[in-house]
This record gives sequence, structure tokens and C-alpha cells, in this order.
Amino acid sequence: MHRRSFLQSGVAVAASGTLAAPALAQRAAANTLRFVPQANLANFDPIWGTQFVVRNASMLVWDTLYGIDDTFTPRRQMVESEEVSSDGLTWTFRLREGLRWHDNEPVRAADCVASLERWMVRDGMGQMIRALKQELVAVDDRSFRLVLSAPFPKLLLALGKNNTPVAFMMPERMARTDPFQQITEYVGSGPMRFNRDEWVPGARATWTRFDGYVPREEAPNWLSGGKRIGVERVEWIIQPDPATAAAALQSGEVDWWETPLTDLIPVLRRNRNIRIDIADPLGNVGCLRFNHLHPPFNDPRARQAVAWVVNQPDFMRAVVGGDDALWRQMSSFFTPGTPNYTEAGSEIASAPRDAARARQLLRESGYNGEPVTMLVAQDLAVLSAMGQVANAALTQIGLNIDFVATDWGTVGARRASREPRANGGWNIFFTWFAGADCTNPSSYLGLRAHGTNAWFGWPDDPAIEAGRLKWFDATTPAEELAACEEINRAAMISQPFTPTGFYQAYQAWRSNVSGVTPGPLPWFWGVTKS
Amino acid sequence: MSASALPPGLPPGLVIPPGLAIAQPQPDVIPDVKPRTGLGGFIWRYPTIALGGVLLGLMLAMALLAPFLWTVDPAALAPAQRLRDPSAQNWFGTDMLGRDIYSRVVYGAQVSLLVGFAVALFASGIGLLIGLFSGFSRLADAVIMRVMDGLMSIPPILLAIALMALTRGSVGNVILAITVAEIPRVSRLVRGVVLSLREQPYVEAAIASGTPTWKIILKHILPNTLAPLTVQASYICAAAMITEAILSFIGAGTPPTIPSWGNIMAEGRALWQVFPQIVLFPAVFLSITVLAVNLLGDGLRDRLDPRLARRI
Amino acid sequence: MWAYILRRILATIPVMLVVALFVFSLLYIAPGDPAAVIAGDQASPADVERIRESLGLDRPYLVRFGEWIGQILQGNLGTSIFTNLPVSHMIMQRVEPTLSLMVVTLILSLVVAVPMGVLAAARQGTNTDRAVMAFAVLGFSVPVFVVAYLLAYVFALELEWLPVQGYTPLSEGLWPWFENLILPSIALGTVYIALIARITRATMLEVLSQDYIRTARAKGVGQRAILFVHALKNAAVPIVTVVGIGIALLIGGAVVTESVFAIPGLGRLTVDAILRRDYPVIQGVVLLFSFVYVLVNLVVDLLYTLFDPRIRY
Repeated sequence: MHRRSFLQSGVAVAASGTLAAPALAQRAAANTLRFVPQANLANFDPIWGTQFVVRNASMLVWDTLYGIDDTFTPRRQMVESEEVSSDGLTWTFRLREGLRWHDNEPVRAADCVASLERWMVRDGMGQMIRALKQELVAVDDRSFRLVLSAPFPKLLLALGKNNTPVAFMMPERMARTDPFQQITEYVGSGPMRFNRDEWVPGARATWTRFDGYVPREEAPNWLSGGKRIGVERVEWIIQPDPATAAAALQSGEVDWWETPLTDLIPVLRRNRNIRIDIADPLGNVGCLRFNHLHPPFNDPRARQAVAWVVNQPDFMRAVVGGDDALWRQMSSFFTPGTPNYTEAGSEIASAPRDAARARQLLRESGYNGEPVTMLVAQDLAVLSAMGQVANAALTQIGLNIDFVATDWGTVGARRASREPRANGGWNIFFTWFAGADCTNPSSYLGLRAHGTNAWFGWPDDPAIEAGRLKWFDATTPAEELAACEEINRAAMISQPFTPTGFYQAYQAWRSNVSGVTPGPLPWFWGVTKS
Repeated sequence: MSASALPPGLPPGLVIPPGLAIAQPQPDVIPDVKPRTGLGGFIWRYPTIALGGVLLGLMLAMALLAPFLWTVDPAALAPAQRLRDPSAQNWFGTDMLGRDIYSRVVYGAQVSLLVGFAVALFASGIGLLIGLFSGFSRLADAVIMRVMDGLMSIPPILLAIALMALTRGSVGNVILAITVAEIPRVSRLVRGVVLSLREQPYVEAAIASGTPTWKIILKHILPNTLAPLTVQASYICAAAMITEAILSFIGAGTPPTIPSWGNIMAEGRALWQVFPQIVLFPAVFLSITVLAVNLLGDGLRDRLDPRLARRI
Repeated sequence: MWAYILRRILATIPVMLVVALFVFSLLYIAPGDPAAVIAGDQASPADVERIRESLGLDRPYLVRFGEWIGQILQGNLGTSIFTNLPVSHMIMQRVEPTLSLMVVTLILSLVVAVPMGVLAAARQGTNTDRAVMAFAVLGFSVPVFVVAYLLAYVFALELEWLPVQGYTPLSEGLWPWFENLILPSIALGTVYIALIARITRATMLEVLSQDYIRTARAKGVGQRAILFVHALKNAAVPIVTVVGIGIALLIGGAVVTESVFAIPGLGRLTVDAILRRDYPVIQGVVLLFSFVYVLVNLVVDLLYTLFDPRIRY
């Protein structure tokens, strides 16, 4: 008999009346999957807030019209069939039969129309569709029509992609919410219901299986196929302290940990009851972002100088730890191992690091020793590590670094400032992109370079933008790759940001859980617990 | 009675009147008072001050002599040799970024001691001013004490975290945040002392005779405030060092480019199970230093203010 | 007495106002931006601006402060920027774990610390006394999270006697509830035990030198009765005072303890809210903490009359 259960039974008897509680709890435990997510589920509107953790939780509650599979091909999900006119301008979609919302109302075409309207305002690709949209109407209860003014070859990808915001379908009354306001109820047509009453933001969120869900016949594959849920209940336990999360997984208090710290993997491996695998094959791309509006980094030579001393192995070891299987040098702006990966024009990233050349470039750019404000969020370990490595590298070529140690909330606010550094602006900040967003230009915000409209840092490089438009017009993989090569070549020169490397992470789960598969996000369909 | 019975040492020729008995000298029952002087005596009488002082002195010496104590650059990154166990080359091992933990711990003494002393100094200085002012001005007293009550009702750690969120992580800001959080307690203490002294007859007399306030403060109030204030300052110093560690633990403290015991522990805490030394070494040093300051504070209290000593 | 209580409660109003004004102003000048955190990394600058507008964060200071105070006077603490849940609801969700942790810690501390202090005083100058004093000084010197990790490592991971983390509501049974609180309350209680043990020892020493204790001794009252009945009752006032003052200490320590043991309490709520700039939540929680602190000290004052009949209000 285990020591703890002995103690437990002893006191349970003493406290009588609670005698039955442990048995009950154990039966419930087999049907409950306890999951430690990457971050707190602080809000629950996947259109309003676009953090990955919100998107991941939303996958349980809301379904999508299409869903990509592991080849990035959009597959039908809620849609039964679609028709497109020969000129590529008129699309008609028909929904599957028997789709129901969690309040048992049927899913109607009008719901989908309203949901798409809300999503289009917030999503990058959605905005492009919106600009081309002539008409989006429900034809009958199960079909709706989209008429465009010009063909948009990536339409189904836009509807089925996993990049945030995902085109989730919500009931019309919810979808009519202003896209900049939060929804107040959480009714979807996905495989699980959200238990709103049990939601303690910062601590716990739970879902119960929705018995009215009709999964597709196909086997599940990423966001496509039959989303069959193998447990009664999914509990997310928010655990901000990795040391405690590791201990909880070891003792079986939780079943699945999405983002175990790499340095703790050896400990977890020693436990026979724990399985470990790569979480997301698409990994992450580290980003050292410049402010292109102000000196010194308004001069491409200064940015190139930095790129010449960014030694990806240093960054990556600091970020992921001692496991060299987890990171890769990426002499590219695109995700390694995906079809558009290209090293075109990437000498600046792949050649041996060259501090002398960097100093030379810095001199040519006219840098005169003024302070360079570098924003480093301390509450995110990855960013803190990148900041410290960059600080050492950039100081070495003579940049006068003003290291601003702060939290992500402050970085998020301050990076929006276009003022010079003396007036509360900035020169460098760090972040990472999901590798899934860097597979092509569609959702790759960091690679937009349309000046003041671009993402924080506001790079301006018409060559990158031209390449991007080519990709959207591309209809074959070869054309797409050619467009990405063009973008890569331009970006290596103008350095909208400097990639600090490609890294992956592990996930870990108890051996009594089966069906956990790698993917750009954790999905719960197909996962069972014994 | 014969002369031989006379005790020795009487002046010669002394005539003892009849009937008067001369007491025989008694053996000395009270042993010689050998006053313990010098260092030994001090240690004997104030063992806590001595122990605390020595420990604190050692830490101070370590902080000041950090570059000469076989350390390397505490900020030098070497990601390739991260997370090494203690060895001849890295006495305490290396951390997640390959920095030498021994060097970081030695240099970390600088920050922790600086934070402790600076907060103690500023908090008691400013608290003293506020307390004096409040104790002598009835109108100001009402307002100031409401504000202090308000501040005091916010737990100091939360107040410090909130203040840190206001600014960027830097040693100066950590000192500022902890100081603000500690001021209300000091000013309350000083005000209390002032109010009780004001009722003393000699102070009342001085006030009645028109002695200027600054003179009263200087002559009567300050000397009596100094003892409890010094004791309080030592506790603030200890508390500040712990608070710095907690702020860093939460990620709102000293920036990671500057090694402090707090942020060495903060960075190592996730790996607590695998590499406990990253947390343990700074924890031991921090605990010893805080202990030293506390011992010193206790000793000072016993010495300076026996009345207070009995109360607390 | 009732008039006194009423006066004291009324006197909390200006204190709370000061707290409200202070916290609000502090957050107003804070540089972080909740809109930026909400929008996530992939949002465009224009989106962040739109979100800021929709949250009303672009309006002037006085308008926002006035609105907030107005709400509070109606008993409404506002709505969290992030979760869109009422702040009062979020606080209610978190009260039980924190309250449980505090109460268990408080009881544990008193049960351990008072006898320790009494024992040390009764055996002044002996090794027992020295051991208690040494523990008391040490307890002040070790950071709470170090104690917490040590306990978790030894008792949860190595010996597997107790759970590593988490909180079980009291409604699910007494033992599951208590089991999860043992390690956190020892960790949190260490400082508190040190503080109370010292105070108890010091006041007991003073009381034990009083005449009536000598009288009681002379009458042949047993040592135990003298210590725990006669002396302790008279030593209660300073002890109770320190317990009250220590509540602030406890709340501060709870922030760290809750984070190590993953207890979904108010401390973690506050830190999360500060790091995310969830203004309404920070304001609400800080107001609550101040209110509790003020209230506890009122209760402490009232307890004086219980222990010392000479004190009357």
C-alpha cells in the first residue's frame, strides 16, 4: 500500500462521512484528462484575443468550415461540399447535416455568414477577402454564397488555417458582437462544451464532452477529420511554475504537460510512466526585431551589422537548453522542413560570424555610440534568454545597449510607440513566431514590410511586398517557392528582423494516456486515458 | 591587649584608645572584578552583535573584494557549457546560460547588500522626517497618518510589485519600490516616539519656555529616537534583502544582466529538481546575510534599548 | 463599545479612499498596456488601438477615476479587462483557497509558536531557549520559496506523503482539502512562527517576573497552570497585536506560496493581474486586502478587552 493512500484512508475514516470521496474521485479521474497548457486562459474569445492559448482552447468549443491536415491542405470540416464558378469569383458552400450548437439549436448558414464577417475584420487573410468581397449571404439554412471581385486562390486555406485568428463558427447572436469587444457566452458546435461556471482564470478551465457532436467519418488529421473525444472531461490546470508542473506530472497529479522545460526532460525521462515527444514539428522562429523608423536601425547597414553577429547556436542553446536535437540553424526566414524553406541569398546568416565586418558596417551606417534601447521581457524565459545573449553579442561590436528589463505587458505597450528612444520609444525587442505562421507569407506579420502600416518596427521594403503578392497569386507549389525565394533574398538584405534560430519543444504525458500526436497545437480528439 | 594584636599597616605611633577594638581584616569574599575589556569582553557581553558583525563583515568583504576572489566575469555567457555541475573550474557549477555561478554569487553580494543598506538608510531617513513632522504638526498629522494607514494596509510585497510594474527592472528602482513600501512603518514608529516624548515633563517644559522646535528636536527628540530607529533599520535591511529576492522570484526585480542572489535563484528555480545548487548556493548566502543582520539588530536592541528588548 | 466599533469602521473610509486614489493613480501612470497584451503578438498596431478604445482606456484620468469610484459606491468592483468577468466574481472564486491557506497557517503557527515561546521563557537561558531563539532568527532569514521547494521536494516528490501542488475545495472532503494545505502552510508559516514565538517568549518573560506570578508560585500553583493559565492570559495582548500586524506579512508570503504550490488564490490573481495590467482586478484586490487588514486590526483591538478587562472602549 502506498504511503499516501494509507494516510488518506486513515484520516478519511477519522473524518467519516468523507469515506466514499476517494473512490468517487478515482472513477472520475479515469474519464478526466488533466492538461497543463502553455499559458493561462485569461480570456475566451478567439477572434477578439489572438493568443495561441485562446486559439487552442477554442478548438474544443468551436468548429471550423475547413481544417488543414498535416500537408497544409485544407479539408472539409463543417462543410459538406463547395462549388466554385469557373471564373473563380462565386463560391457556394453547403454545410453538413445534423450540426448542432451546444444549446441544441441547429447550425444555420446565417450563423456562418455572421461568423465570417466578424473574423474578416481581424484576420490578415480575412481582410484581403473582405477587400474583394462583393456579397456574402445565406442562400438557405444550409448553404451560403461568397462573391468576390477577383479570384482569391487561397480562400479555403484562409478558412481552414490554424494561424490566429482562426475562422471559428459561432451562433449568429454571438457573431454579431463587435470584433473589438469580447463575446459573453461560449456556445459553439465543437466536440466539447465549455463549463463556464468552473472557469477560474489563472487557475483552471474545464470542458465536458458534447454528446450532440457529429464527427466526420475520416480519421482525424490535425484540424481535419473526425474529432472524436475519448474522455468525458478535459481539465486545464494552469501552472506557471515549471518546477511544480514537473513534479505534478511525475506524481500523476496531471496527465499531460504541453510545454515542459527542456532542461527538465532528463528527469521526466527517468520516470517510466512518462512519455515524451516533440510537441510541434513546425516549431518556433526566434525574432530580434528592429525599429526601422529611428537611428541606428533605420539604416540597413546597422541591421546587417547585427545580423552578422547573431550566432544562432548561442541563442538557441540559451533558449532550449542542452538538447541539440531541438534546434536548427535557419539561414532563412521560412520554417525549416516545410515546402517554402529556402536559403536564397542568405550568406549573412549562414557564413561564419564576423564581428569585424559588423563593426565596419556599423561605422558605415554612421553609428556614433548613441544608446540603443533593447526591450527584454523578464516574465517569458525564452525572451529573457534571447535578450541576454543579444546583449553580449551587440555590446561586443560597440553598440551601446540600454538593457530595459521589464515584463511582456510593458514590452507590448512600448513597442507600439513610434517615438525616438528618448521619448519612450525603442530600438530592439524580442519575440518568437510560431513556425506554422512562417511557412508562407499569408500570416507572416513579421515579414510584412509596408512601412508605417507594417507590424511593430515598421520596415519598408517594396521588394518583400512584391514577393508577397506573387505568392498570393501563385497557383502551383513551384510558383509559391519562387515567390518565397524572392522574399527571402530581399529580406536578407533589408533585415526586417533577424531570425535567432528555429527551435522545437517537447510535450510530455503519462503513459496511461494514448493518442497524443505532434502538431502545431495540442488537439484532444483521439486522445484516450485508461 | 598587646601591640602584636594590632593589625599591620597602621601608622606607627598610633595610640589605640582603650575600649576600641580594631576589626581584623576579613578575607576578600567578592573576587576581584576583572573587567572584561577589549574584544574578548565585547564578544562575551554581546555575542549576537559579535557573531552578526563578523558574518556581515565577511559578506561585505566578499562584496567589495569580488574581483579578487578568483571570480570571472559574472555576466560572461557561454551557452555551450551550460548547466555544469560544480567542478574545479566552476566551483558552484554553471547556470542556464553557462555563466559561472560562483562568480555570480560573489558579485551578487554587492546587489543584495546594496539593496538592504540603501533601503534601510532611505526608509529610516525619510520615515524619520515624516514621523518628526507628523509628530509636531497636528494638522499635518491627521493627513499624513491617513495616507500612511492607507499605504500600510497594502501588503508591502504587493506594493513593491506594483511599483516595479511602473518602471523597468533596475537596482535603483528595486530600492525605490521597497523603500516606499517600508516608509509607513518607520514614520509610525518615529511618530509614536515623538508623541510619547512630547508628554515628558522636560519636553513640555522646553516647549513652554519657548525653545524653538528645531532645538527641541535636536536636543530631546532625536537622541531618543535614534535607538529604536537603528534597531528598526536593521530589520528593514533584512526584510529588504528578502523582498528583493521575492521580487526577482516573481520576475519583477533586478534585471538579469546584473547578478543578484534574488535573480540567480529566480533563474534557477525552474531547474530546482535537477540542479538544486543554482538555487541553494545563493539561498545559503542570502540566509546567512539576513541572519547576520537580524543578529546584529537583536544585539543592538538589547544594547541600545533594554526597555524595547523586553517588549519585543 | 458599539459606538467605538462604529467609529472605527467609519474611520476606515478615509483609509480606503487613500488606497483607492493611490492605486488608481499608480496604475494610471503605469506604462504597460492591457490592450497590447490582449491583442497578442500577431495583432497589428491599429488593432491594439481599437481594443484600447473599446476598453475605454483612452479616456482622461478624472473621468475614469470618477466612474470607478461611482461603481464602487454601488458595490460594483467593475469587470476584468481580460476575462470579461465581474471582478467580484473573480475574487469570490479565489477567496476560499487563500482564506483556507491563511486560516490553516494561522492555526498552525499559533499551535506551534505559542508553546515554543512559553517553553523558551520557562526555561530561559537553557539550551531549549537557545534552540527556540535560534529557530526564530533562522525563520526570518530563509526566503519563503526556498522553504517551499525544500518541503515539496522532500515530502511530495521523494517520500510521496503529500501532493505536490493544487487545491481541493473543502466541499470535496476534509482530508483532500487539508492534505493540499499542509506543505504550503508550513512554508508560509515559518516566518510567522518565528515572529510569534519571539513575541511570546519576550512577553512571557516580562509577565513571569510580575508579583502576582510569584504569589501564585508561593501559593503552590503548579508550573503548568502558572505558565498557561496565569501568565499566558496576561501575555495575550502583545501576542494578539503581532498576529494582527503579521496578517500583511502573511498576505505577502501567500503570493509566493500560492505560486509555488499552484494554489488558485488571491495572491496569484494579484500578481497575474499586475503583470497583465488588468486594472480593475488589481484595484479590486488591493482594496479588498486593505479592507481585510483594517478589519483584522479592528478585531485585534476588540480582542484586547477580552484578554485585559482593564481596557474598555
